[in-house]
Amino acid sequence: MTANPLLMGHPLSSPEHAKHALLYMYRIRKFEEAVEDLFGRGMMHGTMHLSIGQEAGPTGACLALQINDQITSTHRGHGHCIAKGADLTRMMAELLGKKIGYCGGRGGSMHIADAETGNLGANGVVGGGIPIAAGAALASKMRKSGTVAVSFFGDGAMNEGAFHEAANMAAIWKLPLILFCENNKYGMSSSTEKAFNLENLADRGRGYGIPGVTVDGNDVVAVYEAAEAAVARARNGEGPTLIESVTYRWKGHSRSDKNLYRTKEEIEEWKDKDPIPNFIHKVLDRGILTQEQVEEIQKISTEQIMQAVKEAAAAESATPDGLLEAVFKAVSA
Amino acid sequence: MSDRMLTMAEAVREAMGIAMEEREEVFILGEDIGIYGGAFGVTGDLYHRFGSERVLDTPISELGIVGAAVGAALSGMRPIVEIQFSDFTAQAMDQIANQAAKIHFMLGGALHVPLVLRTPQGSGTGAAAQHSQNLEPWFANVPGLKVVVPSNPADAKGLLLSAIDDPNPVIFLEHKLLYKIPGRDPVPEGAIRIPLGVSKVVRTGKDLTIVATGIMVNKSFEVAEKLAAEGISIELIDPRTISPLDTAPIFESVEKTGRLMVVQEGPSHAGYINEVIAQVSGSASFGNLIAPIKRLAGMNIPIPYAPQLEKVAVPQIADIEAAAREIVKNWR
Amino acid sequence: MSMTMETGELILYHVKPGDRVKSGQVLFEVMTDKIDMEVESPADGVIEQLVGEIGVAIEIGKPVLIMQTDTEVMSFDFGGDEPLPEAPAPVVETVAVQPAVIEAPVVAAPAPVALPPMTNPQEIRAVPKARAIAEDRGIDLRTVAPTGPDHTITVEDVGGNRLSDDQIKRQVANKALIAKGLEMTRSIPQISFSRNVKSGSVDLTSVISNWARVLRTRPDLNISPKDGSAVSHVGVAVIIESKYGSALPVFKDPDLQTLSELADLFASTAKSAHNGKVPLAMLSGATTAIFDLTRYQMNSSVPVLFPNQVTSLTIGENFSGEKIISLTIDLRYLDFYDGAQLLDSLISAL
Repeated sequence: MTANPLLMGHPLSSPEHAKHALLYMYRIRKFEEAVEDLFGRGMMHGTMHLSIGQEAGPTGACLALQINDQITSTHRGHGHCIAKGADLTRMMAELLGKKIGYCGGRGGSMHIADAETGNLGANGVVGGGIPIAAGAALASKMRKSGTVAVSFFGDGAMNEGAFHEAANMAAIWKLPLILFCENNKYGMSSSTEKAFNLENLADRGRGYGIPGVTVDGNDVVAVYEAAEAAVARARNGEGPTLIESVTYRWKGHSRSDKNLYRTKEEIEEWKDKDPIPNFIHKVLDRGILTQEQVEEIQKISTEQIMQAVKEAAAAESATPDGLLEAVFKAVSA
Repeated sequence: MSDRMLTMAEAVREAMGIAMEEREEVFILGEDIGIYGGAFGVTGDLYHRFGSERVLDTPISELGIVGAAVGAALSGMRPIVEIQFSDFTAQAMDQIANQAAKIHFMLGGALHVPLVLRTPQGSGTGAAAQHSQNLEPWFANVPGLKVVVPSNPADAKGLLLSAIDDPNPVIFLEHKLLYKIPGRDPVPEGAIRIPLGVSKVVRTGKDLTIVATGIMVNKSFEVAEKLAAEGISIELIDPRTISPLDTAPIFESVEKTGRLMVVQEGPSHAGYINEVIAQVSGSASFGNLIAPIKRLAGMNIPIPYAPQLEKVAVPQIADIEAAAREIVKNWR
Repeated sequence: MSMTMETGELILYHVKPGDRVKSGQVLFEVMTDKIDMEVESPADGVIEQLVGEIGVAIEIGKPVLIMQTDTEVMSFDFGGDEPLPEAPAPVVETVAVQPAVIEAPVVAAPAPVALPPMTNPQEIRAVPKARAIAEDRGIDLRTVAPTGPDHTITVEDVGGNRLSDDQIKRQVANKALIAKGLEMTRSIPQISFSRNVKSGSVDLTSVISNWARVLRTRPDLNISPKDGSAVSHVGVAVIIESKYGSALPVFKDPDLQTLSELADLFASTAKSAHNGKVPLAMLSGATTAIFDLTRYQMNSSVPVLFPNQVTSLTIGENFSGEKIISLTIDLRYLDFYDGAQLLDSLISAL
């Protein structure tokens, strides 16, 4: 299964764009559900961080990106990988510890990277990817390659020094960088109310002399529009933009989460703001897609995930051969 | 011209200049490396030769600097980071140890990080505990980093050029007291490269093997020359790179001399020289030891300020001399 | 065991006649003034006879049992001499028919420090190389006085590049044995002749072979070291360097072997002699002796006579590479002209 060539453009600009946006949100949703199921049945090990409820952010942002634009991602990174065009089978294979997995079983859920789609990697360290994205943007500027870099990170990462240092450097050097904060309300158990003395995290942009915008992160259209503006600015040499995409994580932080820090009511409230029906209503209301087309896309996405699980499960397990040799890239003569 | 006696600062600058002329993806970033020329003057005139974009002054943001270098390296550039003092790498450790070191392995090999991090280290300047450490064991204990500790200008030039060529992150630790002194050997002109992971036998001898890196090579060499007059013949080995560590010449030497002394400026506890000792202990050369292995290293204390205190914290020439004489005299 | 000990009481035999024993196997126990001591077999072999009496004091150096050995041990055949008190450990004495006599333990000088007898060698401090040397040379580290820091045994303590205590003891014994033998021959009327060899093959193997061939023509010159009676073989003792001093393996009837067989046998014998071992079968039956000094570019114009040998040769060499062969004869068996003819015959044969 090869990655689909990325489609760019406004999700409501054509039936094709609408289908694409819907398909990718469904893919993310179904992928996460499959992962949760496999964990529940003991077929996956380690840990996992699910992004169910947050699908509109990566999907909307990546609709604004070319295939050679670069991203860095987070520990909750499956959605970014999928939205940037990663192969579902290789992703699932990685989580199952298979040889054909993106990292050959050496990385797992938190470390999927895909050089072909400009994905510089998910990251197990909060904020770890932000300076790296700044560096990618620096390279773009130095090489005049015209690409932009998007760093996805959570609200928690905005309190890391890495965010501050990268945002400042990107600002002073006017790097083609989009600082894309997925504010899902909690850094593990710490709410943004406890961790910030700010109403809108995007206000931090002003501290670096860059624009900061807050958008409804459950509205793929709003996300796209904000991202598109930021990308245009970046490509135009005007420097970075901070986007705060307000969303919500339905599931616990990780497998061990008992949701003691929030109420069931709050979770249900956010489930009513599900980004997928939100978008379906929009496309049906505007007559961009029919109900049948929507159902067809849902069906296709389910089949694609099932196929990915099937192929990944059947694949050869990773073996310890060559582990030592894999530490360094061989020095060519 | 083959008799050019350069200082290590000059040799390192020359290597960077050659690399920047050779490839346009090579650039330097760090604090005060531009018009200032670097805190120790290492980048010198490179700013004027290559411009502000390729000799990039950064804010005081070690984590951000290294992170940006990692991202640039992932995107086809070959950054050389200068961290003003090795002590400040602590600020950047996530990007060094968790990101740069692991990306190639952890992310499945599709990406790699051709990054060089140069930084001055070592005591002897009265700068006290946060500006004087020798941190090679920090990096040597992280799989995925190569660690180079040059002891002289000629090696520094050749090793740095190889480090810049290397597709992996390389930590390049320069002893700040070596910056201003010329080496014993001339520095060849041109793009000479010395492969990483090849130990150098600095001096041959038959009574005692000394393994040392960085400034301790110079100190040990002086001792070896002095003791030669007393009939004590010292073989001095400079591994030059700590990761990877080329042990074969060390084993061979121990096989010959039967006596081993390892010298390091940093604290003895869990220092890199302990790896040398462990490797020798596990090798066939162990059976040929006629003396217990002597470890001469810094005290297990933060480097103190006052000169008389700083001096006792790390091995001095007299200490090396006394230890070498004692081991040869006591163990026959 | 103390140096003053002269007798020990035989407590117990662990073997009986006909038993096959291994080197290192306990043969009998002796009680001394300090400790009970187990005496081990110095070689593999078969017990022939127990000659001591249980409960009775035995004198140092007197036979306790007689065994037929079949392994290689280092000793000389000088025809039933009294054992030398300096000799280390139980000495294996062989006679022409090769029974070995195991004697009461000879007391060697004690180790410079007394270590508890139960000390495990692994608990002794020694540098790795010293352990390796000790193992190689069969040195018990418990008997070694450490001179290194922290009471650690150094390489020098176990001999290192110089000789180990054990080696020195053995060499002292060895020299004493040779000297004692030669003392017996000093009063014998004798004369020596020398001649430079202008041409011909003067390598050691051909000298051994040809000298045996010459002596075979004179049965009266091949006599038993035990009683002086004529024997029917020619036994050429060749002096070889060993780690315990000089070794004298005897090549029996070398003239009956081909030169290449003899060369192979010589090479293997020289190699094992270097390590201090000479095959038991080659320890006896010498009727003549040869020294080869050519590799030192030296000559001894007066070869020494060993007991009950009536001839002796040296092969020497001068600095221009010319070989010189010297012969010493026992004038009681040969007269001047006999001797001169003998040397002439050898050189012609070469």
